[in-house]
Amino acid sequence: MAWAGSGVAQTWSGFVETRGFAYADRASVRDPWVVGWATAQGTVEQRVSPSLRLSATLRTEVMSTGDRDLFLDLADRDLRRTAISLREAWVSWSVAPTVDVEAGRLLLGWGKTDGYSPADAFLPRDLTDPFADEKLPLWGLRTRGQAGALRFDGVFVPLGTPWRVPVSSPRFAPVDSTVAGLPVIVVDGENDLPRTGWGALRLLATFSDWDVGAWARTGIRPAPLLTPRPDLAFLDGDAVAVPSDRRYAREDAAGIELSRVSGAWVLRAEGAALFSDDPGLGDALIWTVGVERAFGDGTLLLTLAANARATPVDPLLLFDRAILPAFLAIWQRTERWGSWRAVWTQGLRHGDGLVKGEVSWNATDALAITLGADVPYGSRSGPFGSRPDLRRVRAGVRSSF
Amino acid sequence: MSRRRFPLASPHLALFLLAVLAFPARADEARSLLVQSEERHRTKSQEYEGDLAVTSKDGKERRKSWRSYRLGYAGDSKMLIRFTAPPEVKGVGFLSLPRPGKNPDQWLYLPSMKRERRIAAQDRSASFVGTDFNYEDMEELDHEKYDVKLLAEDTVAGQPCFVIEARPRSDAGKSLYEKKLLFLRKDILYLVRMDLFRSGEKEPGKRLLLEDVALVDGRHVARRMTMQDLGKGSTTVIRLEKLAFDRPQPEGRHTLQNLVREGGD
Repeated sequence: MAWAGSGVAQTWSGFVETRGFAYADRASVRDPWVVGWATAQGTVEQRVSPSLRLSATLRTEVMSTGDRDLFLDLADRDLRRTAISLREAWVSWSVAPTVDVEAGRLLLGWGKTDGYSPADAFLPRDLTDPFADEKLPLWGLRTRGQAGALRFDGVFVPLGTPWRVPVSSPRFAPVDSTVAGLPVIVVDGENDLPRTGWGALRLLATFSDWDVGAWARTGIRPAPLLTPRPDLAFLDGDAVAVPSDRRYAREDAAGIELSRVSGAWVLRAEGAALFSDDPGLGDALIWTVGVERAFGDGTLLLTLAANARATPVDPLLLFDRAILPAFLAIWQRTERWGSWRAVWTQGLRHGDGLVKGEVSWNATDALAITLGADVPYGSRSGPFGSRPDLRRVRAGVRSSF
Repeated sequence: MSRRRFPLASPHLALFLLAVLAFPARADEARSLLVQSEERHRTKSQEYEGDLAVTSKDGKERRKSWRSYRLGYAGDSKMLIRFTAPPEVKGVGFLSLPRPGKNPDQWLYLPSMKRERRIAAQDRSASFVGTDFNYEDMEELDHEKYDVKLLAEDTVAGQPCFVIEARPRSDAGKSLYEKKLLFLRKDILYLVRMDLFRSGEKEPGKRLLLEDVALVDGRHVARRMTMQDLGKGSTTVIRLEKLAFDRPQPEGRHTLQNLVREGGD
C-alpha cells in the first residue's frame, strides 16, 4: 500500500505532571488530608513501513501515600498501581487498506453513550483515583477493519486484567459499623486472579443518519466480586480489620448501539443483556440513552443509564453497575485560554450524586495548570454519598512535549 | 411633438433605471468570474501540513499543527485532518464525508478515549479550535450559495483585483455573515482577500488575506492565510506546507478505519 510521503517515521511525546489533592474531611487518622502525585509518561510511535506501526507508552508514578507493592508489573494484575507501568506497547499491521491486525498491550474504547456505556463499562478500570475513570490496558490480539459501510472489531484477551479497586481504607471503603466500640475497616484479602480472559466481537455500520452496532463477548468479567470475611477479622490498632476477598466470575453478554444525527443534535442509545450463573452477580439488562449538542465552543452531553434487573447483591459491590440508575450531565467548553468542564452525576436510586468541576489554563502550548473539585453528596446508602470523605479540591501542573 | 413630451421624470430616475438595467449584467459578470475561477482552480485532491498561530491583542501566541488530506472539491470532497501539535490535541482526527443534498457525515477520533464519535455538522458560527476562523470560514467558498455582484476594481498587495459582493442566499443555510467582499486577482482569478461583514456592520468585522501565492503542481495556491478579527485585534495565521495537488490518494485513507488508526495517515 503506497502512501504519499511514506517512509520510516518516529515521533516522541509525553508529559510530566504533578497533582495534589486536599480532602475536606476524614473519618480516620489513617487517611491523609493531602495527597500528592508525580507522573512522567513517554510515548514513542514508529512507522516502520507504510503498513507496519509500533507504539509504546511507559509511565512512572510516585504517590505520597506510598500505596505500592511492586516496582513493575507488566500484566497490571497487582492490587496496587506500580511505580512503572507499561500503558501501551503494540504493533499494528495493515493487512489490507482498511484492515488492521494489532497485538500487544492495548487500550480499548467502545460504545457510544457518554459518561456510561454498557459496551465500554466492562473494560477494566484503575480506580486508584476513583473519580478519574482511567482504563487499564490489556494484553491481547485485535483485528478490525472496514468493508464498505460495515466495520468489525474483534478482540481476544487470553489472560484477563482485573479492575484495580481503590485502596482499602476508611476514605475509599467506609464501613458504617462498629465492633465492641471499635470502628470497622476493610482490608485486602485473597485475590483469586482470573486464569483466563475473554473475547469480543463488535460490528458497526452507518446508514444515512443512523449508526448501528452490535457486539457480543464471553469470558471472565474483569470487575471483581467482593466477599467480606468477618470470620477472618483481626484487631488492627484502634480498628477491627475485615478482609475482603476478590473473585472473578464468568459472564456472557450481547448488546446493541445506535446513534443518529438529527439537526444539531446527536442522539445515542445502547442496550446490553448480561448473563452469569454466579449467584453473586446474576443477570443484567442495562440500557442507556444520551444526547449531545454543541453550543458554539461548548458541548452538552446528557445520558440516562439504568439496569432493568435487580442485582442479587448491593450494586455498590459490583463496580461497573454501582452507579445505576443514574443521570449524567457533562458540559465542556474550549476557551482561548484553555478549557473548563462540569460533570454532574445524579444517582436515581438513593438520591446521592457527584459534582465535578475543572478549569484548565494553558499557560503556554505545552504547560497547563488545572484546578478542580470533586464533591460527592447525598444519601450514605448510595455509591457517592457513602463516601463523603472523598470531597476534595485538586490542582495540577502538566508540562507536555 | 417636442422632446418635452417624453422627458425623463428626473435625473435620479435616469440613474435608477441605469442601475436596474446594469445590475443583471454586473451580477452575470461576477458569476462568470467566479465560475471561471472555480474551473481554473478546481483540484481533484489536496494535501498539506498546516501550521496555525493565533496571536492575541496582547501578543500572546498559541500554535497548532495538523495534516490535511482532501479528496474531491468543495461540497463533494472527503476530508481527513489529523492534529500533530500541541501535545493536548496530538492524534485527534476529523473525518468529513459528503452526502448528496445533506450535511456531510462528520466524525471525530479522540486518542484519549480511544473512541470515534459521530458529530453533528459543526455550528458554523463556532470558532475553529479556538482561532479567529469560524467553521464557516474554513469551508471552501461555494459561490452558488451566494447572490453576487461585481462592484469595482481594487488593488491588493500591488495586484489588480475584481471586487465582488457576495450575499448568502436565504435557502443556502444560515450564515454568520450578511455580506462578503471577495477580491479576485485579475490575472489568475484567484481569491486573495475576503472582507467579512456580520449583520448590521458597515465596516468588515473580519478580514481574510490569502498571501504568498505560489504555483504548486501547476496550481496557484496561497501558502499563507491570515484572518484578522478587526474588532478584537487578534490574528490567526495558517501556513500551508508540503502542499500537493491531484496526487493519487491511498485507498482507504478517507475511511473510519483510517480515522481510528493511530499514526497511520
